[in-house]
Amino acid sequence: MLKLLRFLKPYWWQTILLLLSVAAQVWCSLQLPALMAGIVNDGIVPGNLPFIYSTGLVMLGYTLATVFFAVVTHFFSARVGAAFSRDLREAVYRKVLSFSVAEIDKFSTASLITRTTNDISQVQQAIMMMLSMMLRAPLMGIGAIIQAFRTAPDMTWILALGVGLIFVFATIILALAIPKFKLYQTLIDRITLLARENLTGLRVIRAFNNQSKEQQKFAKANDALTRNSLFIDKVMSFQDPLISLVFNGVTILVIWTGLTHLETDLSYLGNMMAFVQYASHVLISFLMVTILFVILPRASVSASRLNAVFETKNKIVWKPKTTGTPDVAPSVEFRHVSFSYPGAEENVLTDISFRAKAGETTAFIGSTGSGKSTLISLVPRFYEATSGEVLVDGIDVKDYAAEDLMRRIGYVPQKGLLFAGDVSSNISFGNEFATASDLVHAATVAQAKPFIEKLDKTYLAHIAQGGANVSG
Amino acid sequence: MPRLTVEKPKDSKKAFRLFLGSLKSFRLTIVFALIFALVTNVLTLFTPKLLGNMTNSAVADLSAGNSIDFAPIRQVVLQLIVIYLIVAVLTYFEHYLLARATAFYTKHLRESIIQKISRLPVSYFDQHQFGDTLSILSNDVDTLWNTLTDGLTQILSSLTTIVGCTVMMFVISPLLALVAIIVVPISVFIISKITKPAQAHFKSQRAALGKLNSHIEEDYTGHLIIKSNSHESRSLAAFRETNTQLFEDSWRANFESSMAFPVVHFFTNLGYVAICVLGGSLVLSERLLIGNVQAFIQYLSRFNQPLSNLSQIVVTIQETLAAAERVFGFLEEPEELPDPANAKRITSVKGAVEFHDVSFSYNKQTPVINHFSAKIEPGMQVAIVGPTGAGKTTLINLLMRFYDPDSGYITIDGVPTSEMRRSDVRALFGMVLQDTWLFSGTIKDNLAYGSPKATLRDIKRSATSTGIAHLIESLKGGYSAEISEDSDNISAGEKQLLTITRAMLENPPMMILDEATSNVDTCAEQLIQDAFDQLTKGRTSFVIAHRLSTIRHADLILVIKDGNIVEQGTHESLLQRHGFYAELYNSQFSED
Repeated sequence: MLKLLRFLKPYWWQTILLLLSVAAQVWCSLQLPALMAGIVNDGIVPGNLPFIYSTGLVMLGYTLATVFFAVVTHFFSARVGAAFSRDLREAVYRKVLSFSVAEIDKFSTASLITRTTNDISQVQQAIMMMLSMMLRAPLMGIGAIIQAFRTAPDMTWILALGVGLIFVFATIILALAIPKFKLYQTLIDRITLLARENLTGLRVIRAFNNQSKEQQKFAKANDALTRNSLFIDKVMSFQDPLISLVFNGVTILVIWTGLTHLETDLSYLGNMMAFVQYASHVLISFLMVTILFVILPRASVSASRLNAVFETKNKIVWKPKTTGTPDVAPSVEFRHVSFSYPGAEENVLTDISFRAKAGETTAFIGSTGSGKSTLISLVPRFYEATSGEVLVDGIDVKDYAAEDLMRRIGYVPQKGLLFAGDVSSNISFGNEFATASDLVHAATVAQAKPFIEKLDKTYLAHIAQGGANVSG
Repeated sequence: MPRLTVEKPKDSKKAFRLFLGSLKSFRLTIVFALIFALVTNVLTLFTPKLLGNMTNSAVADLSAGNSIDFAPIRQVVLQLIVIYLIVAVLTYFEHYLLARATAFYTKHLRESIIQKISRLPVSYFDQHQFGDTLSILSNDVDTLWNTLTDGLTQILSSLTTIVGCTVMMFVISPLLALVAIIVVPISVFIISKITKPAQAHFKSQRAALGKLNSHIEEDYTGHLIIKSNSHESRSLAAFRETNTQLFEDSWRANFESSMAFPVVHFFTNLGYVAICVLGGSLVLSERLLIGNVQAFIQYLSRFNQPLSNLSQIVVTIQETLAAAERVFGFLEEPEELPDPANAKRITSVKGAVEFHDVSFSYNKQTPVINHFSAKIEPGMQVAIVGPTGAGKTTLINLLMRFYDPDSGYITIDGVPTSEMRRSDVRALFGMVLQDTWLFSGTIKDNLAYGSPKATLRDIKRSATSTGIAHLIESLKGGYSAEISEDSDNISAGEKQLLTITRAMLENPPMMILDEATSNVDTCAEQLIQDAFDQLTKGRTSFVIAHRLSTIRHADLILVIKDGNIVEQGTHESLLQRHGFYAELYNSQFSED
C-alpha cells in the first residue's frame, strides 16, 4: 500500500495544503470547548452577561473558520484522491500495454482486467478515506490531548488510562480478528469460483447429473465461510460495548474528580465540562485509527496485486530506433532458433533454420502442441527466441523499433476479434492515415466487401464490443 | 464515503414483503436484538441528565455556602455504573445475535441461489448473463448482510436518539430545545440544495467508469492486435480521454456530496454556541441549573449525529429493497417443469432414437426446427451438418432435454423422453461439447467427474486410449495436477482431449459430440476420431462437425438448413445427389 503512495508525489503541494487545512480545521474546532469553559468560569459564575455574549461571538467566528477550512479540506481531498486514482489507472494500463505475451500469460487477461478495475477502486477508496478521515483523526487526537492537558493537567491521568485501555482492547480484538478477516477474502473467492463454475458448466453438470455433487461442494465452502464469519462476529461484537464502557467510565471519573476540586476552585466547573468534551474527541480519534487496521488489510491485498504488475520486468525490450537498413525484398529467416516457454524444461522449438522469400507462401504442418503457433509468434516478437536469431527483411527482430517491425507484418490471429466502433475504424486499426479508397481496396482483397456492403451503414456500421453483432 | 450508485427498487412494497417473509425463521432473534437496542438507547438517554444532576447537586451545596455532600452524588454514580454495565452487556448480545442470525440467513440465501441455479431451465441462462446471477449471489446478498448487521440497528438507534433527545431537551428547557431544533429543517434544506448537483456528477461518473472499464476489457483482450498494429499510442490517447472525464466527474461528485458535512458541522456548532450563550444567560437569571446546561450540550451533540446519517439511511433502505428485489426475483423465476410422477425408465438400452414431428423455437417468432422427423436405429452413427444457425445444436438441446419441443416428441427405444425423468434421459448420453468445461481440481477428479467409482487404473486406461496420457504424465503432479476452467498450463486442444476422456470413462450407452474436434489439429483429430470410432462401435452416437472430412463414414448424415432436414443419407449417396451437402463438402475442400 505504502509503495503506491508515490503516486501522490505530483500532488505534494496540494497534499501539504490539505494537511494544513485539516490542522487549521481541527485547531479551530478544538477552541470551542475552552471558550465554553470561559463562559462558565468567567461569565456564569461571576454573573458577567456581556462576557458571555462577546465570547459567544468569538465562538461563532471559530465556527465559521472551521467551516471554511472544512470546505478547503474536502476540495483538496476530492481532487487529490481522484487525481491519484486517475494516474494509478493510467500507469497500470500503460504497463499492461507494454507487456509482451509472456507477461500477459503470467497474469492472465482476466486477472489483469480485475486488477485495473476492481483493485484500483479498492485502493482508491482506501486513499480517499485516508485523505479525509485518517488525516484528521490523529491530529484531532493529539490536539485534544494537548487541550485537555491545558484545561486540567491533574486529570490527564484519567485520559491516559482511557486511551491505554482502548489500546489494549483494540489490540486484543484486532489480533484475534485480522487473521480471520484475511481468511474471509479467500473463502469469499472460493464461493465465487464455485458459483461461476456452476454457471459456466451448466450443461456439462446436467449432462453428468452432477447437480447434487456441485451443491455439496458449494455447501462445504458456504459452511466454512459462515463459520469464519461467526468467529469474527463473536470477537468484533466486543468492540462497541467495551469502548463505550471505557468512554463512560472516563466521563464519570472526570466529573467526580472535578466536583472534588470545586470546593477549593470554582473555576473547575467550566474546565471539567470542557475536559469531558476533549476526552470524547480523543477516544473517538483513537477508535478511528483502529478502523484503519480493518480497512487497510483489504486495500493492501489489492495494492500488492497492483504492485505485482508494476514490478514485472518486461522480458522484451525494444530498440527506440531500428539499427541497420532492411533489405528491399521482404524475407523471414530463422537461424538455429530454439525456444522454450518460461519455466518449462523442454524446448518447444529446437534448432530451426529456414528462409522464406518474397512472394512465397510458407506453410507449417504439425500436430497440436508441436509449436506451429509458437514459431509464428516469434516473428512479430510476441515471444523472444531462447537462442538463435529471427531475421525479418535481413535484420534481427531485436534490432527493430516496435513500430518498424509491426509495419512489416500483417497478423491474423485465430480469434476474429473486433473493437467497438465502426467497420472502418476496425479495418484502419493498424494504419491511421488510411483513406476511404484504401479501406475499400483492403476489403475487396479480403473478400469482405460484399458482406460489408450488405450492412446497414456499410463502412460506418456500428460494431459492438467484442464484435458481438457480426458472425465469426 | 458516498456510494457510487443509488438503485431504486421497482416495486418497494413487494420487495419489502418478500424480504420480511424470508426472515421468518430469524424473526425471534431479530426482535430480541431490536428490543435490546431499544433498551440500551433509552437507558443511555438518561445518562447526560444524571451526570448533570451530579453537577447540580454539588453546585447547589456550594451556592448555599455548604461544603459538597458526596452521599447523593455517590448514589448517582452507582446508578450510572449500573446503567453502563447493563448497556454494555445488552449491546454485546444485540451485536452478536444480529450477526449470528445474519450469518445463517445469508448462508441460507447463498444455498438457495445455488440450488435455484440447478433447478432453472437452461433457457434462463441463455437469456441472462452469468455476471448478473453472480452479482446477485455476491453483491446483493452482501447488501442484505450489511443492512441486517448495521443498517437495522442504525435506523432504530437514529430514530430513538432523535426522538429521545428531543424529549429530554424539552424537559430540560423548552426555550433552548426550540433553538436547537429550529436549525434542523434549515440545515436539511441547505444540504439538499448544496448536494443536488452531486447527483448529476455521480451519474456521469458511473457512465465514465463503465466506459473506461469496457475500454480496458477490450484493449486487454485485443492486446496482441494492438501490439501487432502499433496501435498503442492511439489506444492510450482514447483511454486518457475517458480517464480524464472520470477524474473530472469523480472529484466534483465527491466534493459536492461531501459539502453536507461542513453544513451539518456548522449548524451543530451554531447550535452549540447558541446554547452556551443562551444557557449561560438563563443560568444567570436563575431560570436554569448549570448542570442542565452541561446535560443539554451532550444531548445536542447526540441529537446531531444521526441527523447527518438520515440521508444515508434513505439510501440504505432503497439499496436494500433493490437488492432484495433482485435476490427474491431470481428465486421466484419459473423452474423446469417437474418430472412426471410415475416416470418411465429404460432398463436395458438398445439405442433407437426417433424424432416425431418435432418443432421448436427459442422465441415464438423465429422457428428453429420445423416439423422434424427422423428415425435412428440402434448403433448408428449420426452426423448432423449444416450452416451456422441452422439448428444443429438445438437438436442436441432437445435430445438432452435442456429444452423441450414446442410440439412433437422424441422417443428412446419407443419411450417418449418427456415421460422420463430428465436425469434418466441424460444418464443415457455421454456428451462432449465445444466449450471445454473443467472445474478447478485435480485432473483425476475432472476425468472421473461422470464416473465416481472409477479407479486410477480405469482413468489411466481411458487417458491412454485418447492419447492424452503422455501429456498428463509430463505435468507436475501427473494425475493429481491441479487445473481449472481458465488454467493456462494446458492448451485448448488438450482440454478438449480431457473432456473426451471424461466422456469415455463414463461409458454411457449413447454419445453426443458437439463440434468436439473444432479446437483440435488435424493430427489430434485423427487420434480422437480413432478412439471415438472404437467407442461408438455398437452405440448410437450423434456428431456435429464443421469439418465434413471427419464424418465421411457416418451411418446417417442429416443435412439441416433453416430448421428443416433438407437431405439425409450416407456420404456417398449424398455426394451423388449433387445437392446442398455436395455443395458444402466441395466448398470446404476447395478451401482446404
